[in-house]
Amino acid sequence: MTNITVKICTGTTCYVMGASQLLSLPQLLPEGLASRVLVEGANCLDFCKNGQHGKAPFVQVNNTVIPEATIEKVKEAIRQAAETD
Amino acid sequence: MKPNEYFIEVGSHQHSKFGQPVAGDVFVSERSGDEGRTITILADGLGSGVKACVLATLTATMARRFVAADIDVRRAAEIIMATLPVCRQRKIAYSTFTIIDTRADGSVQVIEHDNPPFMLLAKNPKTAVQKEQFAIQSQSTGQRNLYYSRFQLEPEDRIVVCSDGVTQSGMGRKEMPLGWTDSAAGQFVSDLVSRDPGISARDLSRAVVLRANLNDHRKPSDDTSCAVVYLRRPRAALIATGPPINPAKDVALANTVRKFDGKTVICGGTTANIISRELKREITIDLSTRDMNVPPPSSMKGVDLVTEGTLTLSAGAELLEKNVDPEAAEPNAATMLLKHWLDSDIIRFLVGTKINDAHQDPNLPVELDIRRNLIKRIVRLLEQKHLKKASIEYI
Repeated sequence: MTNITVKICTGTTCYVMGASQLLSLPQLLPEGLASRVLVEGANCLDFCKNGQHGKAPFVQVNNTVIPEATIEKVKEAIRQAAETD
Repeated sequence: MKPNEYFIEVGSHQHSKFGQPVAGDVFVSERSGDEGRTITILADGLGSGVKACVLATLTATMARRFVAADIDVRRAAEIIMATLPVCRQRKIAYSTFTIIDTRADGSVQVIEHDNPPFMLLAKNPKTAVQKEQFAIQSQSTGQRNLYYSRFQLEPEDRIVVCSDGVTQSGMGRKEMPLGWTDSAAGQFVSDLVSRDPGISARDLSRAVVLRANLNDHRKPSDDTSCAVVYLRRPRAALIATGPPINPAKDVALANTVRKFDGKTVICGGTTANIISRELKREITIDLSTRDMNVPPPSSMKGVDLVTEGTLTLSAGAELLEKNVDPEAAEPNAATMLLKHWLDSDIIRFLVGTKINDAHQDPNLPVELDIRRNLIKRIVRLLEQKHLKKASIEYI
């Protein structure tokens, strides 16, 4: 059952700022969580265009935008999404 | 034949002798001026490795200059022979060469010195090649015989030239004691072309070299090179990169992509989003290739390739510069882009000039957002190094 969608922006800015590492997320998710998460790459999500969302790299977990995303930050957002579900 | 109706495609492939990091066969090709004259040279230096490479490079470079300057071929050959350095062990100065000088109207002159004879794959069986033999004097090797021929190439005709590493491949094996031979290699080429009449110069030259290497059980006993000159109907590609400065032009950009007769590639996330929105076509990202420096490719209905912009284009420029074979490289968006470039003859860049504000952050590498310079560099490489016709249009 997948009900959490994770979109990793692979636009230029995000890729340079760390999205290339974030793409290994599926291998790093704990087993209990992995089956509920769909990890997708995304074309530029346009969050970098104005300062209002913070800084690249951006990841979107369901509808939450995570600026300056790291594997740890994204895992945490997934855990939260799983709990509130 | 109307001008611009046909395109002279030049392709080559090479494998050096087993254990030699440098090939002693050198292939040089140049498109001179706007008249579409294409000069192609294959030279094979004495021996193998660095020494042979120096001899062949000298020969090919001199030959290219002399032919481009319309110096009499006899005189040019004499100067080349007299200039080559003498091998300390063998006491001779020697390199073979084949010079193919093709004009935009399809008229060709070929000068041959000791390489296996070129093959002409002509549609019209009546196309005959008369070779005129002439002799020149070389100080170290005495009288040398050269062959000169002049003929008319018709659309869809090809010229194939190989180094002796190809025709002598497999030599000593029970089934081919004299090697592959000129005639068997020629048969292989004509079979391949009759099976795949539109095969590109690049693919054909690669097929010949790979087959020759198989004859040697993948351990070539000499440098193996093949070059093909192919007069064909040009294949066009459109590369759309960068959002238009004026959003009112978004529709025009999308329609140019939609209507283009040829391959279409979109390089840039925002550009792809604009086209996706205007044409109502979804973008699907493909995560099957992973590369730390090049973002993954995407796909869109009716478009041959969608990639990220600057990083992928920069990586593509590096691949063009280093003459990388896309079939032999790790697949990623840049090698896919490279393949589209090399498979095309006329490449049109549609470059949006809007500045991406997100790239102006001083924390980002300075190489970012120099799209216009980057495209100019790519066009230069495509035209000068890969003999493509490329153009830029800004929007």
